[in-house]
Amino acid sequence: MTHRIVVNVETGVTSIVEYTAEEQAVHDAAVAAQVAAEAAAAEAQALADAAAATPAPTEA
Amino acid sequence: MSVIIDGSTSVTINSGAVLGITSAPAQASTSGTSIDFTGLPSWVKRITVMFNGVSLSSTAQFLVQLGDSGGIENTSYVSSSAQARDALASIGGTSTAGFLIYQGSGGGNNATGIMTICLISGTTWISSHSAGNTAASSGISGGGTKTLSDTLTQIRITSTSTDTFDAGSINILYEG
Repeated sequence: MTHRIVVNVETGVTSIVEYTAEEQAVHDAAVAAQVAAEAAAAEAQALADAAAATPAPTEA
Repeated sequence: MSVIIDGSTSVTINSGAVLGITSAPAQASTSGTSIDFTGLPSWVKRITVMFNGVSLSSTAQFLVQLGDSGGIENTSYVSSSAQARDALASIGGTSTAGFLIYQGSGGGNNATGIMTICLISGTTWISSHSAGNTAASSGISGGGTKTLSDTLTQIRITSTSTDTFDAGSINILYEG
């Protein structure tokens, strides 16, 4: 089960809190958004690398 | 009138801020998907997040998120981070879900370093980080900004995915 560690700096109490269903859903949505962003960045980088690797045309 | 500060206790000033730097208790980052530091006082203007050999279970990156009385906010960040590696090309990324620390995408990556988060005005915070990843012989750096809807009261260290922490320790310092 997913959990997080919570440290209350006011009281000094540290606790382990299991995710609620709602928190898990928010977390999963954020994961999906990040994966999409990273995929787009990787695709852009691949296109840039391919363009950089293409030799410039030379005159006959 | 003389004022003597003997270091035996904290000193407060008119706004209620504690003079000097306050440390939270360090946390082993060996389990869980996030570590939250809550109950931060309203007078805080600078937070230092310290990473000591922190790593994740898979290929995700680190995220640091801010929160207020309404909870942790995970949108509307402007953030980027990049890693300059010894033997490979530089890599990096951006995030709107938090302040990104791009540790890399291979297994065994880790981060040792510092992120500083400062209140620039109102409820707008600026971050900057510098860290090293011994697994890739690399240096990590970047920055970001985030405007909260209210006064900051909490901070979360987590990842861009469902990874769990599996090594190291994390702590924060805060000051007014």
